[in-house]
Amino acid sequence: MTAETRRKRGIEDRAALLDLMPRQEEAARRRLAELVESVAARRPPTTSFSRLWILGSLQAKVTCAYLAYWLRSRWADADERERLKSETHLKAALELLGTMGYLRGAVMKLGQMLATFPDALPDEFARLLPALHFEAPPMHYAMVREVFLDEFGKEPHELFASFEREAFAAASLGQVHRARLHSGELVAVKIQYPGIASTIEADLKNLRLLMQPMRLGEDWGNVVAKLAEVERVLLAETDYLAEASFAQTVRDSFVPEEGIVIPRVYPEFSSRRVLTTEHLEGVHLEELLDSAPSQELRDRYTHLMTVATMRMLYRTHWLLADPNPGNYIFMPDGRLGLVDFGCTRQLTDEEWQLQVEVEEALLRRDEAEMERLIVKSSLYESAEEMGRERLELIGRVIRWQLEPWLTEGTFDFGDEDFFRRGMDAMVEVTRKGFMRGMPVHIWTTRFVLGARGVVYRLKGRCDFQEIYRRESGRDGGEMSATMAARNETSPPPEGEG
Amino acid sequence: MRISEQAKQLCRARILDKAAELFAARGFDQTTTRDIALAAGVAAGTMFNYFPSKETMAMTMVNEALARGREEFLTRLDGSESLEEELFLLIGTELRRLRPLRPFLGPVLERSLSPFPRKSVCPEGETARQEHLECVRQIMLRHGFAATPEDVAATIYWSLYLGILASWTGDQSENQESSRALIDYAIRTFVQMISGVTQGGDHDC
Repeated sequence: MTAETRRKRGIEDRAALLDLMPRQEEAARRRLAELVESVAARRPPTTSFSRLWILGSLQAKVTCAYLAYWLRSRWADADERERLKSETHLKAALELLGTMGYLRGAVMKLGQMLATFPDALPDEFARLLPALHFEAPPMHYAMVREVFLDEFGKEPHELFASFEREAFAAASLGQVHRARLHSGELVAVKIQYPGIASTIEADLKNLRLLMQPMRLGEDWGNVVAKLAEVERVLLAETDYLAEASFAQTVRDSFVPEEGIVIPRVYPEFSSRRVLTTEHLEGVHLEELLDSAPSQELRDRYTHLMTVATMRMLYRTHWLLADPNPGNYIFMPDGRLGLVDFGCTRQLTDEEWQLQVEVEEALLRRDEAEMERLIVKSSLYESAEEMGRERLELIGRVIRWQLEPWLTEGTFDFGDEDFFRRGMDAMVEVTRKGFMRGMPVHIWTTRFVLGARGVVYRLKGRCDFQEIYRRESGRDGGEMSATMAARNETSPPPEGEG
Repeated sequence: MRISEQAKQLCRARILDKAAELFAARGFDQTTTRDIALAAGVAAGTMFNYFPSKETMAMTMVNEALARGREEFLTRLDGSESLEEELFLLIGTELRRLRPLRPFLGPVLERSLSPFPRKSVCPEGETARQEHLECVRQIMLRHGFAATPEDVAATIYWSLYLGILASWTGDQSENQESSRALIDYAIRTFVQMISGVTQGGDHDC
């Protein structure tokens, strides 16, 4: 590209960027556009990973501008001098973002969501939601071989009867290859990118640095606690042996007739960095939707997804914190496969208790108690301290999350109005920066958003209350024999959010 | 009486074995040539006929390990590998062979492979460099990179490789997996550089 075309393109980009920026006073918009341009124009030290530097495209710049806009709103009422200072921090923050190895994708997608709302169609939004997961760089086969030598002292082709060199799916911390065991079974082999744990630690350190100069004031302690929570859960995910043992626990809580399949783990071919499980035949969400499935099938899968989630939540108090659509396998015989249990979070007794109280208050329609619990879970002492606006908005999100609990009969997750109301409230909360709350809510929110994104796109319906009553043991003595046998001391019921 | 060639080889191997044990147990700098001679049961004078210094001993071990690694590397190829993959396999296989020596390699490599001008160049260090670079040259030839100015490419490559060695020798992570990510990154950087691909920060997202 010549210098002249580069210059011209720069001007066009700036104009397009300005056009797409948040509507606020002209001077501030212009400054923000300049800021983003100046960061994006900087050449990275190297571009060996295609994903290394993603601020170049116009879309990425718009995304960045929104992130910047969002961050800036944290000190919107500051005077001019403060504002200039904050923009220096902002610039540093955007540059730091470009150097992140693992979290950047998720942060950029968050910006994209903020940027495209509310103009984006709900369907586009639903596509983005579950994409809020983390990404590791791809590995070539030579690297896979070296990981195998480290983990098993053998090459993949020595360990397996056959092993596909190309990965067939990306996993949050690596990638998945198809292989066949010497005994004939087809398996999925998940392999972790070496050293990903230290990348996660470095990213989180950067995030802390990045956020420290912002005027988060009283919320800073909460932000630190949340970042520690994120780090803990992500690092736990790097231990595939722990995941294998959790997958086994989940597998034991379903019987084959239920139509929910948790793949079997092969411990002899698994280690901390490699996880070998049964390979499930089936398609992912995109492919299923392309085949124009009948409403009956959509409903069936929605039913199964709800049952699976509820079972895990009520039996084991575990949340699937990574609702990646790639984790659902729609099998040809109408069964639902659940794969990848790496990113999970078990609720503590205290967290569980709070959830139980929220759900009970909701079902009793006890508004005063609901308010008290919303204040409590937002870590405020009183409604006055929390402030009306925050209380109302957080309440709106929680009530939306719990809406299916209050609906008799068939619940339609594909309803556009329902979905949009939720997104509306969520984006508003994010834009306002009302982020204070219990660290565990990072995962409950991520889970609810991701799962709702999937069932919205599926346009699926199910009798939510009926499933809830059965799985929580609240069906007044009509609990099925299997359920009763499986869980004599039924845990108290709970809500998603 | 003349010692047979076989006996010489055995003596040489015994000295290297004992030296490796002592280096690993006490550290390279804390081990003296006297300690090694004593442990190997040879007179100091005899030992110097085999190895003029403990650096030479250590670098001989390194070169032998690297050579075995390169032989093994060739058997691991099936012809379908990309340039990145071949380089990755080469380094990976060499380092795996070098792994038993890792506990004492830091000071050895620092002295013998330093790219800065020195009064006395360690001949074994020079051998290590030339043999490794020759293998890299063969790989690049196989992938059609004959046209790249060899001295420039070799210098860039060697700098990256020394960086990898330095990181790997001190890598505290399990199986040195942090260095594995570094090797991946360094090789991609190198291949992109010699491919003449110029990417700015403003496209190719």
